[in-house]
Parts: sequence; C-alpha cells; structure tokens
Amino acid sequence: MRTKVGQGIGLVLILLWCLFPVAWILSLSFKSVEEAAAGSPQFLPKDPTLDTYQVVLQDADFQRALINSFGISLIATTLSVILATLAAYAIARLDFTGKRVVLSIALAIAMFPVVSLVGPLFDQWRVLGLFDTWPGLIIPYMSFTLPLAIWTLSAFFREIPWEMEQAAQVDGATAWQAFRKVIVPLAAPGVFTAAILTFFFAWNDFVFGISLTSTTDARPVPAQLAFFVGPDQFNAPTSTLAAASMMVTVPIIIIVLLFQRKIVAGLTSGAVKG
Amino acid sequence: MGRPEPHTASRRKHPRRRQVALGMVAVIASSLLAACGGGDSGKPTLTWYINPDPTAPGGFKGAFGQAGIAERCSTDEYTVETELLPQSATEQRIQLLRRLAAEDTSIDLMSLDPVFTAEFADAGYLAPVPANASEGVLQGAVEGASWDGKLVAAPLWANTQVLWYRKSLAEAANLDMTQPVTWDQIIDAAVENKGTVGVQANKYEGYVVWINALITSAGGAIITETDKGADADVGVDSEAGTVAAGIVEKLANSSAAQADLSVSNEGTVIPYLGEKASDPGGFMVNWTFIYATFKGGDEAVFKDLGWARYPQSVEGKESRPPIGGINIGVSAFSENSDLATQAVECITSEENQVTYAIETGNMPASEAAYDDEALKKQFPTDLLELFRESIETAGPRPPSPYWNTVVSAVLSKWHPPSEVDEKTTPEETATFINAVLDGDALV
Amino acid sequence: MATGAVTAPRPQASDRARRAATERSRGENRLGWKLVAPAVVMMLLVTAYPMFRALYLSLYKYRLTAPEDREFVGLNNYLAVLTDSLWWIDVGNTVFIMVVTVAVELVIGFAFAMVMHRLIFARGIVRTSILIPYGIITVVSAFAWQFAFSLNNGFVNGWLPLVGDDFNWFGSKWPALFAICVSEIWKTTPFMSLLLLAGLSQISEDMLEAAKVDGATWWQRLWKVIIPNMRAAIMVAVLFRALDAFRIFDNIYVMTRGAQGTESASFLTYRQVIEQFELGIGSALSVLLFLSVMLIAFLLVKLFKVDLAAARQEG
Repeated sequence: MRTKVGQGIGLVLILLWCLFPVAWILSLSFKSVEEAAAGSPQFLPKDPTLDTYQVVLQDADFQRALINSFGISLIATTLSVILATLAAYAIARLDFTGKRVVLSIALAIAMFPVVSLVGPLFDQWRVLGLFDTWPGLIIPYMSFTLPLAIWTLSAFFREIPWEMEQAAQVDGATAWQAFRKVIVPLAAPGVFTAAILTFFFAWNDFVFGISLTSTTDARPVPAQLAFFVGPDQFNAPTSTLAAASMMVTVPIIIIVLLFQRKIVAGLTSGAVKG
Repeated sequence: MGRPEPHTASRRKHPRRRQVALGMVAVIASSLLAACGGGDSGKPTLTWYINPDPTAPGGFKGAFGQAGIAERCSTDEYTVETELLPQSATEQRIQLLRRLAAEDTSIDLMSLDPVFTAEFADAGYLAPVPANASEGVLQGAVEGASWDGKLVAAPLWANTQVLWYRKSLAEAANLDMTQPVTWDQIIDAAVENKGTVGVQANKYEGYVVWINALITSAGGAIITETDKGADADVGVDSEAGTVAAGIVEKLANSSAAQADLSVSNEGTVIPYLGEKASDPGGFMVNWTFIYATFKGGDEAVFKDLGWARYPQSVEGKESRPPIGGINIGVSAFSENSDLATQAVECITSEENQVTYAIETGNMPASEAAYDDEALKKQFPTDLLELFRESIETAGPRPPSPYWNTVVSAVLSKWHPPSEVDEKTTPEETATFINAVLDGDALV
Repeated sequence: MATGAVTAPRPQASDRARRAATERSRGENRLGWKLVAPAVVMMLLVTAYPMFRALYLSLYKYRLTAPEDREFVGLNNYLAVLTDSLWWIDVGNTVFIMVVTVAVELVIGFAFAMVMHRLIFARGIVRTSILIPYGIITVVSAFAWQFAFSLNNGFVNGWLPLVGDDFNWFGSKWPALFAICVSEIWKTTPFMSLLLLAGLSQISEDMLEAAKVDGATWWQRLWKVIIPNMRAAIMVAVLFRALDAFRIFDNIYVMTRGAQGTESASFLTYRQVIEQFELGIGSALSVLLFLSVMLIAFLLVKLFKVDLAAARQEG
C-alpha cells in the first residue's frame, strides 16, 4: 500500500513536471494580445480567445517557416538515415579495420560545439551559393544527426538474428528475397526509431537555423519564432508567440503519443550497451 | 511569385532520389537549378526588404504602410514586392548584411536604419541613389543617409524622440513645460509625485540612442572623425560623457526608475505613463508613434498627455534629440538597379511620405510634407512643429561603419544602468572602445 | 559467402581455407569501408574542413564588411581572447550552467527513473509525457520560461512567496542565470532520466533481494548496490548532458540575449562571427571553443575511467 501511494505521488510529480509548462504555453496562447500587452501575470486567461491562433494561421511567414522546417527536416532525416543504415550495417555485421575510428569520429561529432562551425560554414556557404537555401541546412543537419543515427541503428542491428537470412537462403530464397522478407521487417523498427530521433534533432535546431538563413526562403520554425513580429513594433507578442509555439509542439506530442515505446528504446539503446 | 519554386522543386524530386546513394548531390543540384531558373517571364519584380510596420488599425482596407507604398509604386514596367525583416534594428542589419556579403542578387531595395547606412555604404553594398534625393529633406535625415560626404540612401521617413508626459503630474510638480526642462528636473518631479521616468535601457541599440542623446545634448560625441573607420576618435571620456553618466546614474538609483529599467524598451515604457487617468504616470522619452498609440487608448489619459522638446542634459544648453527613421537603399548586387533607382523616387515621394505618416504615425523626412493639409488634420499643429524642429536640430548617432561595434562596447560598460558611475564609466568606456576598435579586446 | 562453407578433408585444404579467409576478410574490409564511407565523408565535410578553415582564418584580422583591411596577425587573436576578461567570464558562466544543470538533472532524473522503474501502472502515460519536454523545441521551452518569469506576463512572481511582484528576474545576473538553468533543466531532465532508467533496469533483482536479506537498509542498497551497478549508465548520461550543456546557446539567445553578464562561450562566438562579422577573432573563438569541449570530454572520460577502475578493484 505504502509503495502504491509513493508511486502515485511520484507519478503526479513527473506528470506535473512534464506537462505544467506546456499547460502554461497553452493558457498563454488563449490570452488576447491586448491582455498580454497590458501585463497579465495570472496563470489563466481572463477572457479566453482563439484570435491568436487565427493570427498565426494567417501569418504567411510562419507558414513558410513550417514548410521549410518540415521539408528540410524530412529530407535531412531521410538522407541521414540511409547513410547511417549503410554504416551501421557495416559496423554491426562486418569485421573491418578502422571500425573504431568510425565510431570515434561519430562520437567526436556528436560532441562538437556547433557554434564554432557557423562562422566558417557561413563563409563557405556564401561562396558556394548555399547560404539561405534548403541544402545549406540539410547538409549540416545530416552531418550532425549521423552519429545519433549510426549509434541507434548499430545497436538495433546487433540484436538482429542475421542467421535467419542464411536460413532463408538455404530454404531456397534468393539473397534479395531473404533480405526483403527477413531482414527488412526485422530492421525496420530500428530504422524508424532512428528516423524519429533524427527528425527531432533537425526540427529542434536553432544555431544553424539563424546563422545560415536570412529570409523565409529557408528559415526554419525555431528561427522564425525568435523573429516573430507582432503589432507592437518593439516587443514580440507574447500570446501570439505562445500560440505559434503550441502549433509547433502539437506535431511533437502526436509523434510522442504514437511512438513513445520506439523513441525510448532508441534513446537508450546505444547508451547502455556502450 | 517566383520565390516558392526552389522548395517545391526540391521536394518534388525527393522520392526519386531515395534510391540514389549520394542523393545529397542531387538536392544541391536541383535547388541550384531551381534558384537560377527563378526569373519570371517578362515584367521584372523588385524585392524590397522592409522593416515591420505597426499593424494596420481594424477596418483598414488594402495594403498598409510600406506594403501599400510598394503597391502604389508598382508600374507597367516592374512590380515592387515586399519581404519582411525581423523586429529589431540589430537583427535587420544582420539579416541584410549576411545576404549582401553573399552578393545575393535577390535584394533590390531595402529599408535601412540610419545607424547602419554608413556601414553598408562603406562595404560597397549600396548602389547610387537619385541625385536629387536630398532635395527638400530635413537636415537631420540627410545626415543619417550620408557617408563620405555623399547621400547613399534616400530618406523615407524620419523619426525623433520627444518628451511625453502627463500634464497632471507636471502640474503637481509645478513644472513649466512651455520652457525647456532638464533631466534633473523631470527625475525630481517624478520622484516627488511617485511617478516614473521612462527611458530605453535594455542591452540593445535603443539604450545607446538615449546615451548618445545625453552626450550630444551636453555638447560631446561618443566618437568623432568616423571616416577613419576603426581609427575614429573616441570622445566619451569628456565632460559631456560625465554629465550623461551622471544622469543615467541618478535616474537608475532613484525611485523614478521603472522596475524593468534594465530590460526596458520603447514598448515596455508605455504602460507606465498610465493606463487610466488615476495612475500617477510620469515622463517618458519616446518616438513619434506614441501619439497614435495614446489616441487609440483611454480617453482621459489621452487628454492628459503632453509633449515637449527632448530634455536638456545641461541647463540652458539646447537639447539634441535622437533621430531615427528609415532610408531606402538600392543594393549594389541588384540585377535591376536602374529600375530600383526609379522606384526609389516613387517610394520616397512626398505623397507617399504623407500617406505613410498618416497611416503609421511615422513622420516624413521631407520638409514640405509637414505643410500637407491631410497630415495637419491628423496631428495637432504644435506637435507637428515639435517633430519637425526636433528632427532638424537632432543629434544623430555618428555615422560609422564600426557603429555596431561601438554600440556593443558602450553597452558592455553602461549596462545595467544601475551600475553606471559618472566618475569611472566614461573613462572605462573610452579605453574599452579604443581597445575593441584595435582588435585587442572582445565585445 | 559460400567459400567458407565448402570444406573438404584434404591436406591442402586448410591452407586454401586460410587464403580464402584472408581474402574474405579483405573483401569484408573493403565492403565495410564502402558502406561507412558516405557517412564518414558527410560527417567530416561539415566539421573537419570548416575547422581547418577556422584555424586558418583565426590568424587574420578579418572583418567581413571590410575585406580590404584583412591582415595577417599571427596568434594575436588568441592572445586577445585569452587575456580578455569577457572570455573568462563567459567560460565561467558556461561551466557554472553545465555543473548546476547536470547536477540537478542527475538528482531529479534519478528520482524520476526510480519512480518509472517501480511503476506498475500508467507506464505509457508517464513515458509519453516525459518525452514531451525532450521533443519540444528548445526555443519554445525558453519562451515558456521567459514568459513565466516575466515581470509583466509571468505567474512566477505571484506564486513565489518571498519574491516581490515587481521582481525583475532578467534584471541582474544570478536570477537571470537561474531562469536560464530552469529552462535547460526542464527540457533535458527527461533524457537523463530515460538513460538512467535503462541503466536501472539492468540491475538484477536477485542482487537487490540478496542485499535486502542481508539486512541492508534502503539507503545502503541505493549506495552500495544500485549506484555502483549503474556507473556505466550514469557516466554516459553525464558525459552527454555535460557536453550538451556546455554548448548552451538557444536558451540564452531567447531569454537574455547575453545581457546582464549571462553570456555563454557559444553565444560569445556567435556574436563575434554572425553579428559583428569579425571572422578573424571569431574563428579564434571557434577554435578555442572546440578545444574547450575536447578538454572537458577528455577530463570527464579520464575521471570516469579512474573511477571505474577503482570500482572494479573494490568489487
């Protein structure tokens, strides 16, 4: 009984910790722009309104940022996961010299201070014409998500019973059939998990997003949020910003709701087995 | 119109690339191709990067502010389209400079804050503007659009700060507001009457606007001989600098300072002037848009709103109010710079300046525009006269390609305002600016 | 693949098999490199090359908007940075944020992991909600907490008993750093707790049971059994989070923009390079930032290794 009560308290605390700030943004987003501008220090809105969402939905620049973020993150994720799958397969299954070197490079890159790159990258990108373009963001996103993807995938791949492939071949399946029918279904969840984690990373990026873009041509959501323009020429509109924040948080909540098991498995896979 | 293409193109090609191992190359190639093939058929589009305008009032129809000007200035020959820059002047500068440093041809026209106009011109990013663009423009605005003795951008509108206050509070303090007042007087008056003095003192460009005004009003300058670039003369460590630091120190340590002084900006100071008539209110220095803001607010407060010349730093010495505004520059990398130059003439025409002023409350840069009947209907005559005079006698921030560096250096010594010390701050600032300009110190 | 399978009992066979094996391993080597090459190239393209370029640029005085003034200054940029108090203040802030956030996260994250580990009901809900802070954009988290601490629009002043309603959290250094840490801790504790949870689930129940039978108290079990057995998980979690926290940028950008002396080393570098276009001194900062991260990684790995070895000897 006592443990149950303790668990209940712990549960409530965790839920409060995780959801309270989200509730705060949600509540803020229902405050009218006028209420927030006049100072509205209480938690709940005095007069809830959906106007802020309407403003955000009609904001062409924000729409562009959403398209940019989705497009760039998806492309970067796809490419990154493809490259990582190849690499992780090699690391998990093949015995080759320099495996450790590859893993060390991945580790070093995962720890890399990204800000120290924006200067030279900006300088390079402006010469190559990549500044403020989608590829200009896709490339760095790929590089920085690869370590995470490689780790997650190689951890998953190590668990796959590869003998089954040979068994299938012995049973008369061609190499391709064996790969498609046996290995793909086994590897798919890992690839999918790696893709989600990679997507989160790209979706969350801010440093590259503000440094390597300058217009809505490529500016992603986090940067657009930081530049949000409201009716007050001098201050960002608190409640509209909250509404925009809510709108970019909803996809995350949906992904998390649908795939929580996979995400947790992916996050912890590489870590424990080292 | 031509803009969305690179994105849709790269997205459309996406599934096909899936099978290619090195798909990245394809992404780059496809996007570059799409970017190059962006030219529209026939009529060229001039892209004008604008700073945000205030929101259009409810019920306003059609394109507002600079977007409206763009619409009116589109001709059979070209279309002018606007692209919105971020809110803060600092951020606008960064966004534009980054594009220009990349020699991006997609900028044709840009709205430039006077403080970074010099830097853009010095870097060679600005194409010449029409020779007659300075005709009939108020002196303060011309200075903010010139570099190396030449007009490098065309002033669209000019901003200035005046002293806004609550008449009831000034009355209670026995201040004669028809005469010039000093900072000491208004701080004391506010303290006695439980009011506040609103200034902009966040760690941003706006705080340097205030510091610069305090110093120029006392007869000094933060830097001079700015045409020497990094070798400019630093003048903060002077009597004027000490006077300015003294005023900041006095306000920051008095009860007239607002609670959020160290993060205050043009917007946060507004509520302190009172949301209802019973609030004590106080004084505030702020730009011209305040009139329109209060006109739309509480009626009793609006009736009690007074305006006067920017306060003096030294009693008896005419103040040199801040000046701001927007200049229109033509990009040196524009593929249509002839057309863009043509468009500048239309954008900064007197007619557009007046319409813009009526819509947004941002005052014209052209002298003659102040006599416009429509404008006179919108603003009280004495206020218009105050604005005009304030712009004409303004103390601009020194036009220097290194201004942004100077701003950061000043801010790092003057922020937070409560730590300013008239005895040490000016000297430390001068030493520091010199070190920073020489590349010996970080800022 | 088939070569290894066909083995005949002939004398020369072992020799041939050995040759086949080396050939196979050579083939495997080749295939291995072919498969990892794209990823390795991609990773190095965006890091190694720019880093060398930064190294080169850091030897110049070079402002992007004044390219003609570019001149070779040797190591002067490094000298300027390393003798500058601003650099050391910012490094100090960064280390402070790193130590505080990681320490707090470790404690809270461990508590969360314990709860989640023992939980027999509502596991899905907890796991889902704990992933929300992890998945939320850092900028959004920064805004949420900035507004919460805001003088005009935040509830924090009203809710905290000892804080006046007009207290300006972003008006001075330590309160502002506190707010920044809160946002950072909120967002990243879940990650920490999930890593710790994974470590926790590797501890065998038998061992705990045995300790219990031996009369060990809950506290003793925690320190003598659970924590020593979780060393690997804790090490990984701390290493990752520490290096992540050392790079702190987003929260500071949104919440204070580095005002009131709350700037981090990353933010300083960003400002020099991107805001002031000082590619020379900015590149020197980039290099120093990179070296700092390497140093911290090295120290942490060293520290943990010593600890791990010591633990092994004890056990």
